[in-house]
Amino acid sequence: MEFLSLITPLFLALVVGGTFVGIIFGAIPGMTATMAVAVCLPLTYSLGLENGLALLLGLYVGGISGGLVPAVLLGIPGTPSSITTTFDGYPMAQRGEGEKALRIGITSSFVGGTISLFALYFFAPTLADFAIEFSYVEKFLIILFALTVMAALSKDMLMGIFSGFLGIFIALIGTYDISDGGNGNLRLVPPGTEYWLDSGFSLLPVLIGLFGLAAILDEAELGVPKGQSREDVKIGSGSTFSFSVFKGQAVNLIRSSGIGTFVGILPGVGGSAASILAYSNAKTFSKTPETFGTGEPAGLMASESGNNGLTGGALVPLLSLGIPGDSTTALLIGAFTLQGIQVGPLFIGNNPETWNAMIFAMLIANVAMFAMMYVAIRYFALVVTIPKHVLFPIILMMCVIGAYTINYGIMFDVWTLLIFGLFGWVAVKLGLEVAPFIIGFILGPSAEIYFVKSLESFGDLTIFFTKSWIAAVLWVLIIGSLIASVYMSKRQRKLETRSS
Amino acid sequence: MDSLTQVTIDFDRSHLIFPTLIGSILVLLSLAIIAKRRHKLAEAGAYWGQITGHMDKPRFFGTLALTVLYFSLMVPVGDIWPNTGLGFLICSIPYVFATGVLFMHERTLKQMLVMLVISVFAPALVWWLFTEIFFLTLP
Amino acid sequence: MPFTRRTLLAAASTAALLIQPIAAAAQELPRNVRMVIGSTSTGGDTYQNSAIVADALAEHLGINIKVDAVGATEAFKALGRDSRGTTLMIFHDQSYLGNLYGVTGYDNPFEEYTVGQTVAINPGNAYLVSCDSPYQSMDDILSAAESGERVRVAIQPGGVSEIGFSAMKNAASVRAPGSEENIVAVNTGSQSDKNQAMWDDLADVINGSIQANEQFTQLPQDDQKCMRFVWITARAETLAQAPAEGMGDTTRDELLQYASPETSVTLDGEEDFTFDKEFFFLYNPEMDPAIIEQIDTALTEIYEAGEIQERQKASFFIPNFLPAEDARQHLMDKRDTYSEVIEQISGDS
Repeated sequence: MEFLSLITPLFLALVVGGTFVGIIFGAIPGMTATMAVAVCLPLTYSLGLENGLALLLGLYVGGISGGLVPAVLLGIPGTPSSITTTFDGYPMAQRGEGEKALRIGITSSFVGGTISLFALYFFAPTLADFAIEFSYVEKFLIILFALTVMAALSKDMLMGIFSGFLGIFIALIGTYDISDGGNGNLRLVPPGTEYWLDSGFSLLPVLIGLFGLAAILDEAELGVPKGQSREDVKIGSGSTFSFSVFKGQAVNLIRSSGIGTFVGILPGVGGSAASILAYSNAKTFSKTPETFGTGEPAGLMASESGNNGLTGGALVPLLSLGIPGDSTTALLIGAFTLQGIQVGPLFIGNNPETWNAMIFAMLIANVAMFAMMYVAIRYFALVVTIPKHVLFPIILMMCVIGAYTINYGIMFDVWTLLIFGLFGWVAVKLGLEVAPFIIGFILGPSAEIYFVKSLESFGDLTIFFTKSWIAAVLWVLIIGSLIASVYMSKRQRKLETRSS
Repeated sequence: MDSLTQVTIDFDRSHLIFPTLIGSILVLLSLAIIAKRRHKLAEAGAYWGQITGHMDKPRFFGTLALTVLYFSLMVPVGDIWPNTGLGFLICSIPYVFATGVLFMHERTLKQMLVMLVISVFAPALVWWLFTEIFFLTLP
Repeated sequence: MPFTRRTLLAAASTAALLIQPIAAAAQELPRNVRMVIGSTSTGGDTYQNSAIVADALAEHLGINIKVDAVGATEAFKALGRDSRGTTLMIFHDQSYLGNLYGVTGYDNPFEEYTVGQTVAINPGNAYLVSCDSPYQSMDDILSAAESGERVRVAIQPGGVSEIGFSAMKNAASVRAPGSEENIVAVNTGSQSDKNQAMWDDLADVINGSIQANEQFTQLPQDDQKCMRFVWITARAETLAQAPAEGMGDTTRDELLQYASPETSVTLDGEEDFTFDKEFFFLYNPEMDPAIIEQIDTALTEIYEAGEIQERQKASFFIPNFLPAEDARQHLMDKRDTYSEVIEQISGDS
């Protein structure tokens, strides 16, 4: 227990302070955990390794968790990994259960974070060895599996799938990125727009355009009707929260946390896939899948435990292979090298104190996140009582900051916000569906790279079926998910005809 | 038989494979949608007429116009004091105020004053926080 | 309306006041400088290097310098838009290698921009094989190619990661013309993709770095992740300046075994090919040259003080300050050498 000497009051203060700042970053639409870590990275130089990591890990846990606040209350995902949180959290808030939804989300986040932390602590090297069994082929199949959720999320199967593929298509605009293994050539860029579009559209501005600006345009179109009053939020009345909502959800929580952790472990699959996969699994295995998307607590639980499950998972490849599991942990490498510490397969063995201190920091961060958010919910929930004519301009301004700073100061990202705000507004009127669209957009680039690279490396289409037992298992899951979607959509139609 | 499934990828042209594949799927799906929905398509004109008819035009187009103006001015204004984020601050104040007033229903003097105070303080606070404390680049 | 003529006038005069210092001191760096870099990662070597230099420069000159990781294309765009000296750029050899390899978005930096001071070298560029590989050395690899064996090398195409691969092909062609055909590229992306390519048996040799791959070389032989260095591209003189304890459990002397002259990848049969990844300033071509001079002077003083070298060495960078003139000449010579290598092998195939 030598590491206990590293746990100083400063260490604890940094974890808690980091978590607090992280929550704020996560809660502001457009600001992400990655941004929070990037901003504070230079500070760690003077703090020393353990204290620096304490701050950064607090920011990481806080940032991932804070995203649920605007997702639930405003329907705008604060970070890409809280997209699926909006599906059920926002409908709950709309019917006046915002506070309850937040409490469910926070508790699930805590469960997800803690489960993944255990996985990290006890199985990191084993999990890393398993992760390197995943070649391009298996990674493509994981993405394909995540893409099947497009079908499950569609209200109208045909339009939903079309929207999803449109999302993939639009994500391909720009260069075939060299740093992902592409050849750096442009495609799908209309002549004359190369100056702006050579790197394509960035995810975050697209996301907040579709969910933030589009929603405000919708409201403007309707003449900005009055918002909920303080009574509507039902603070302490009506549908109160109690931990009994989690009854019967243990399997859901553990499965979702496990999925989140596992996606985190796979380098290059991307953090947003975690909550998407967790959500689609929860829906598939639910007895009442038709309630998903209408304010179903189980969906909220899956999404939030999934994205917090990512936190521990993403540290596995970082600390046991020296390879980051997502964009935030990529920055943590910087914190190590700033201090002259190598991360790689020998890290845990060579630096047991640092390793223990990190785990401890994560644990404190999860507890701090839970405690702080639980207390603050009351005030968060009041956001919906702010008059819309005050709230909307400020949201718009925050979206601009988020879009502009996400890539460290690129004005085109701000215009992207407007383009996709308008697109989102028109798309809904055309019957296109935003949820599958954004999922296609997020997963499109990875789907491309792994699909093309699989064929480039193995030169045979059958490789997708014959590569390994993992591939076979993934196919079972993909087919199962598709069958479930078709079955669900039939069942839903039957339910609708019966009720009408 | 083996040759049927074999593919050789030319790396220099590999950037076109996936766009072609997804593009073809999109074309097929749109054909299916057109076939299924041709009746609805015929009514498209009336549908959009209804939407624009019911729309709160001043608020909707006002928001768009203000936003375009806001985005266009931010960089030129910011260029006067490079790398200070003042372009953002100076443009945000009138934008927040104007949009707030546009969305307001009862435009009393008191409400306007409240909005004015908010539109000065909110951007200033945000600007201070992000440029001075977090050291981020704003226009 | 709150916006009376008086407030507008007041705003205008404040504006005028604020502009003044910029106008008065046109020959110097402005108070607020943005340093864009050619990488999008704030954890990578480019960022670290730039942050070290930006910190030192900002402190020395009493100004603010903000480092923005916008990535190569966006950085060049931002630099091209601003000739007032409010935007500077730091990048490495990729800036001209990208152009030599014809990557979209890369112009010739010596023509389109002004190349300035070099500040440091990252000596880490390396090539590795798996522990159970039959190849013990670069010599084995080149003779394998000569005897008709296909050697697959995982690289990220179009730059720093490819230049060593091009040199291998060039050396193969010098040694046994035609044998370069047997050295083939496996185009991958990040370091994790390159490692994975080795573990999936898609590549025999991978490009990597001392920093990222050293720990893998310390794993037990039977671990499937175990790797061995076969070549470090840095010049011996560069590597000799690294701390004696080297990196991790590999000492500097051990590292030197993999660099020229101990490990030879020939350039023309006489000299060895070497590659140091150097970080240097890039400026807008219309920017006032007085600013470059100002930075020359400031950096000379900073490097004389000696503190910056300590910080650079602590992060495994080799300090390498050259004033703008000398740096430009040095980098142009370097570019010409590599340009010949690339032409040589593309002429063959």
